[in-house]
Amino acid sequence: MDNFLEVSNLSKSFPGFQLQNISFSLPKGYIMGLIGPNGSGKTTTIKLILNMLKRDHGEIKIMGLDNITDEIEAKANVGVVYDANCFCDEWTVAQAETAVSIFYKNWDKNRFSELLKRFHIAPTKKVKELSKGMQMKLMIACAFSYDAKLLILDEPTSGLDPVSRDELLKILSEYIEDGEHSVLFSTHITGDLERAADYITYINYGNLFFSGCKDEFVELFRIVKGGRDELTLNLSGKLIGIRSFSTGFEALIRSEDWKLFRHLDVEPATIDDIVVFTNQEGDRDE
Amino acid sequence: MNDTLKAARLDFALIKPYMKNICFTMALPVAIAAINRSLMTGVSFAMCLIAMTAGYPFSVSEKSGMDRLYGILPISKKHLVFGRYLYTCSTGLLAFLFSMIVHPLVLRALGEIIQPAEIYLAAVLGVFMFTLYTVFQLPGYYRFGFINGKIFMYIPVVGFLAVILFLSKLVGTSNPIFVSLIGNPIISVIAVLLVCIIAYLLSVIMSIKIVRRKEI
Repeated sequence: MDNFLEVSNLSKSFPGFQLQNISFSLPKGYIMGLIGPNGSGKTTTIKLILNMLKRDHGEIKIMGLDNITDEIEAKANVGVVYDANCFCDEWTVAQAETAVSIFYKNWDKNRFSELLKRFHIAPTKKVKELSKGMQMKLMIACAFSYDAKLLILDEPTSGLDPVSRDELLKILSEYIEDGEHSVLFSTHITGDLERAADYITYINYGNLFFSGCKDEFVELFRIVKGGRDELTLNLSGKLIGIRSFSTGFEALIRSEDWKLFRHLDVEPATIDDIVVFTNQEGDRDE
Repeated sequence: MNDTLKAARLDFALIKPYMKNICFTMALPVAIAAINRSLMTGVSFAMCLIAMTAGYPFSVSEKSGMDRLYGILPISKKHLVFGRYLYTCSTGLLAFLFSMIVHPLVLRALGEIIQPAEIYLAAVLGVFMFTLYTVFQLPGYYRFGFINGKIFMYIPVVGFLAVILFLSKLVGTSNPIFVSLIGNPIISVIAVLLVCIIAYLLSVIMSIKIVRRKEI
């Protein structure tokens, strides 16, 4: 099985928001960043993958298993890390392990203890007393203790300090090292993806904008900078997004158009640039 | 381990931090039984209080946002519901056994003579009332959540008041309900148990439907 996650033509409608025909696949042994601005449908996509929301159309396969008809088998191989704690606040770390471990046949108690030591989490500490970063590490420790093959993280880095974010990215890189695990990582902090992700799926207000290799994604666009008078009407039509200053402008263009702008400053675009400039079409709500 | 048992264990783990409170509340009905010198009142009150705690797992999971945990566990929604009913019935059974053992002992120590008919009626009424409360409470909590469905927590209070005001007065009278219950104990027990089983079946079906429709 080459793909650990396959999403095909996924659609879901809510009043005022539609997720439309989302398709992507995550190969085994890689990290995919699921990006998009707030309210673009990242969490909705993850909830649909986990069958927490009912899809209107489409198909989702987790390690070749349908996420609805084979839900239990599929979920036994999936670990999930949310942006906030999902355990009972009053539990101690040890109680959280007792409560959750019974659901997994291959739960490794020793591995859990090792991970707690590594993450400096005391088993006697209450979940509510752990910092946000520690709560996230507890969720990771749980997922690693039953050797989840696919790890899904929903905005795990929002609210984390740079040290914790760096640590998380290291953990994820180690996790996929053996080529037997994959990560789907939703975030709007795209700087994290520059470092960790191999693939990018970009959802823009419910529509799939791009899904593929990160390098391919970044190569598709360029940033062009120049004076205000250097921007002719002809060139303006080629801009995807523009930021104007009193002295000049900065804009996103397609790489194929760069020759038209060669008299100006043309630089590689970052993921952040692409997300920001492609979202200048006006405010839309989910 | 069976999935229903796993789900029930998860619910017991949820209320573990509140176990002391629940145990403490079981002491109150002993006092009520002693003050009223009535086993039926004591047992009914115990079942009323324990039914009021049926919302605890809903409350704790709602407070901690645990729907997201339920969403990732490899267990079906149906088994999560079965587990919660098993948890609720288990707490009810424990409270029932405790009050059926401790209350008569306390009343006896106070010099009360308890008629077998009263023990029998207290037991039948306790089981029936607990069933009546919880078969409505659980689907209510599933449908509205604990915070919005808090009114379901007070169903047992209404039931207990009804017991005090009407049913406890039946004991020792020639009321046809009382007479038929006492006159045919085995048939009455079977009938009550059958009604309870059917009520739980319908309640479980309703809860599963609600949970399956629900999006987290």
